[in-house]
Amino acid sequence: MEVLEAIRGRRSIRKYKPQPIPDEVVEKILEAGRWAPSGGNIQPWIFIVVRDRATLEMIRKVSPGYLGTAPLAIVVCSDKQRAFQVGGRLGRDYMTIADCAMAVQNMLLAAYALGLGTCVVKSFSPIAVREILEIPDGIEPELIVVVGYPDERPVVPHRFSIEEITYLDKYGNKFVRKGP
Amino acid sequence: MQEEQRTEAEERLFDILVFLATSARGCIDEPPLYGPFRLVDALSRLIDVYGHVPGLKKDPFLTEIKAEIDGKKFLVMSDPEGFKRFLDELVRKFTVELKRRSGQRS
Ligand SMILES: Cc1cc2nc3c(=O)[nH]c(=O)nc-3n(C[C@H](O)[C@H](O)[C@H](O)COP(=O)(O)O)c2cc1C
Repeated sequence: MEVLEAIRGRRSIRKYKPQPIPDEVVEKILEAGRWAPSGGNIQPWIFIVVRDRATLEMIRKVSPGYLGTAPLAIVVCSDKQRAFQVGGRLGRDYMTIADCAMAVQNMLLAAYALGLGTCVVKSFSPIAVREILEIPDGIEPELIVVVGYPDERPVVPHRFSIEEITYLDKYGNKFVRKGP
Repeated sequence: MQEEQRTEAEERLFDILVFLATSARGCIDEPPLYGPFRLVDALSRLIDVYGHVPGLKKDPFLTEIKAEIDGKKFLVMSDPEGFKRFLDELVRKFTVELKRRSGQRS
């Protein structure tokens, strides 16, 4: 699948089929995450693949924004301690979030290309997720990626037009397309 | 260790309590509109309990309300004005039903 097609076609899915996801497919998604760029190439991410039914259920129950049940979730964590050692405060407080977001977007696109649906979830209780997954201090759960075969085709949500979000050469200068 | 025995109703209610507790904490940092979203989602989850608890039989009015909530709650992300209109309509429907149950005609 073309990257541009995946970027355009991917949607947040909140209704999934129960069908399990083969290991080699999960691995491809993780591989996509692993190849994301990161500030200073710190690669602060740690992926916790959750497919045990009881654990998944607990994670869902402590995550008000986790809507719909899916056979898999990837909890994307950042190693704050290592990020601080290598990248200082900027590394710990900003880069880790940006880096994990890059990895997550890669995973969303890879999953879509593999016929899967995903939803990023930030509305979860970090305290509860930490407790359930026994995540040690210094490691922060940043985002949950819910993964499963989609059982819905959501309406395409609004996006601002290029003109609404883009300036040319300086702030406030209308972006005009050059003719062919 | 002996497994604790819980009824389905107890389990369902406990899950809703966990949802409410995590939502309460989440709402401190989340966008203001997520508060109403969580409440209406809680409504849908509570309606689900009807029919699973002895003494709480399935209620056609609430079943319809639940279907409407589940169909429209995601407007919060795509169309906040539409979400607000949906909540207004929800309140209106509840009020009409309240009046009917109180023995008055709307
Ligand atoms: C950082 C981030 C956090 C998100 N958190 C949630 C969430 O907790 N629950 C949810 O259902 N969707 C969540 N989403 C999905 C967004 O609501 C969704 O991307 C947005 O509405 C656009 O829809 P689309 O992904 O279908 O294009 C999140 C997305 C991002 C990028």
